[in-house]
Amino acid sequence: MSKMKKSYLTGKEIRAIAKENAKIIKRLEDYKNRKAEESEFLTQMHDDANILEIDDLHTYFFTEQGVVKAVNGVSYSVPKNAVVGVVGESGCGKSVTSMSVMRLIQGPAGQIVDGSIRFKSHDYKRDEKGEPVKDENGNYEMEDKVYDIAKMPISEIHRIRGKQVAMIFQEPMTSLNPVFTIGQQLDEVTFIHIPGATKEMAKAKSEEMLRLVGIIPENVYDAFPHELSGGMRQRVMIAMALAAEPRLIIADEPTTALDVTIQAQILDLLQDIKNKIDGSILLITHDLGVIAEMADFVVVMYAGKVIEQGTVYEIFQNPLHPYTVGLQKSKPTMSLDDGAELYNIPGNVPNAVNMPNHCYFKERCSKCVAKCSGDYPGMIQVSPTHYVACHLYSEEDSNNG
Amino acid sequence: MAEEILNTPVYDDAALEKEYLDKRKIQIEEDLKKPFDPEVVLEVRHLRKCFPMKKTVTGKVTKELVAVDDISFKLKAGETLGIVGESGCGKTTTGRAILKLHKPTAGQIIFNGKDITHYNSAQMRAIRKEMQIIFQDPYSSLPPRSTVGGILSEPVEVHKIVPKDQVKNYVLELMDKCGLRDYYYERYPHEFSGGQRQRICIARALSVNPKLVICDEPVSALDVSIQAQIINLLKKLQRERNLAYVFISHDLSVVKFISDKIGVMYLGAMMEFGTKEDIFRNPLHPYTKALFSAVPNPDPTAKTERIKLEGDIPSPANPPKGCRFHTRCPYAKEVCKHVPPEYKEYEEGHFAACHLLDGE
Repeated sequence: MSKMKKSYLTGKEIRAIAKENAKIIKRLEDYKNRKAEESEFLTQMHDDANILEIDDLHTYFFTEQGVVKAVNGVSYSVPKNAVVGVVGESGCGKSVTSMSVMRLIQGPAGQIVDGSIRFKSHDYKRDEKGEPVKDENGNYEMEDKVYDIAKMPISEIHRIRGKQVAMIFQEPMTSLNPVFTIGQQLDEVTFIHIPGATKEMAKAKSEEMLRLVGIIPENVYDAFPHELSGGMRQRVMIAMALAAEPRLIIADEPTTALDVTIQAQILDLLQDIKNKIDGSILLITHDLGVIAEMADFVVVMYAGKVIEQGTVYEIFQNPLHPYTVGLQKSKPTMSLDDGAELYNIPGNVPNAVNMPNHCYFKERCSKCVAKCSGDYPGMIQVSPTHYVACHLYSEEDSNNG
Repeated sequence: MAEEILNTPVYDDAALEKEYLDKRKIQIEEDLKKPFDPEVVLEVRHLRKCFPMKKTVTGKVTKELVAVDDISFKLKAGETLGIVGESGCGKTTTGRAILKLHKPTAGQIIFNGKDITHYNSAQMRAIRKEMQIIFQDPYSSLPPRSTVGGILSEPVEVHKIVPKDQVKNYVLELMDKCGLRDYYYERYPHEFSGGQRQRICIARALSVNPKLVICDEPVSALDVSIQAQIINLLKKLQRERNLAYVFISHDLSVVKFISDKIGVMYLGAMMEFGTKEDIFRNPLHPYTKALFSAVPNPDPTAKTERIKLEGDIPSPANPPKGCRFHTRCPYAKEVCKHVPPEYKEYEEGHFAACHLLDGE
């Protein structure tokens, strides 16, 4: 009996876990709420072509059942003017990573434990009081700074959130405020983020943004969210994200809640906007088709870790990790011949509390080798842009040099 | 300018609508009198379902929402009918009306050669075991306080499928067929993941040996790798038991994979109906074409030419006059705005409703 896995925790065990968690949470919360000089969270980019570098990020949720390592050592970067697609199944940590970038992780249970998120910001130059500085011609001066978002105290996060990094959420139905008109909600962005904004300026900006996303402003500016359809609301959300001219847009499943014809409209719009703005898009989705159409680079995540990353051509034409291969084969496509059995990956994603030490995909993998029972595989570089975390490719790598 | 105005045909909308309705009424009456086809498991004739929107104090309905308008199809044993369409097009209402979970407003539902449209609840209970449903959300469609064993034994006991002392063995055998381990018998639904719960739902639906299963978006709530497992399970069970499926989904690629026949719905009406081969080889209706081209292709090198549909689906409470699709159709003509198109057979077994196909 002792060998059988226990499925329930006793009250004593839960209390012990809670006590342990409370200690860690206290330390992390204090760190989050501290007062800090700017110099503490200024840093340098490792590669200047990138706009965002996520480096060995660990975001944990301290629950009564134990610590859920939702993001467990994730590293990827978003280059300038590129679309990076993050793909994975539910619970793989793709949304938690993006929420960590926005510092929107729900505390006190959810905490960024370790790692760094370097972001290159392009903002108004400010004096010691925090007022924007004007040059001789009366224009505001701009300057580039690199912040480590993970180390920023939460009180300083307004420098980034909304202004530099904007987010488009999955549910357009719930992410707009139902008691304010679209116009009021859009104007607010300008008021908050652009110094010296007047009412006229804000309205002009909002209308420009609505036109950019293909809405005639006259019909929508004074409307309330409930008067709009799902597709229109998502357009408004995109307009709102664009209003502060962010350098990075995080689109978290922007089309999942929409119908396929509306999804096509929104994807076309995002493609169009990508060319118009001077920024990058981090696209999070579980739909491989959306990734293939939109992204330049693809990051595949599984159980809180990145298992493969590369350009969109490398991932779709030469997938290496058995999970990536399986994911692509198990999706019925429009061109698939019928009659054949659909490929499927057996089993389920492992329990997030007690992760094994070996490769998390081992139990579901059809290509296991002896090495797979050993340590978790490290990232192996296959080509200048293509990385994979799988023991199958480790020998090839050492042979090649 | 003057010539242009003179040459434009003038449409009297009210007269056209009356003419169309009269014509359709005669057609429906004729169709409903036809004898039943003994080969088909399910036949739906001119099904219509309206929901009341406004009532007077006396309870008289003054405004109706036509959720399903005039749908007809036949389904043989061992076949799968896929119904696709965007949200609000009435595909779920169709599924529920077939099971009489909604009372149909008009039309006939013929199941196994019997007209069940006007069956009362006692008569329905007798044939419930022949027709089952699998719901979309496996999280809310299982009772949280019953064990898996309890959930699966209850329908078997109620419908007296096997003698009482054999129920447990029967259920265990069924669980094995659906890919559930035997020690799950004592467990509760909250202990399972979404894919496993959907397997329990499938096992529950099949526990009474139905002939027809309505699958209402059974894989939409699941991840891609789990989706494939469930689709394969459904296909395997269909082969083994010669089941007829009505597979409702908004995911075209899934529908294409599993279906033999496909019906495309838009705002409550069937736009196109035919075998899978016909519909994918030669889509007739512009909406079908647009729907197919809107599916993102998981191949970065393929550049699909998209047929762009402008705007949103109109509200079903106030559908457009004429062809329902004309507000978004890229090829709409003047006639489409006024005259509803006839639902006609263009190839053998391939129906569509569009003015453009008449080549006027």
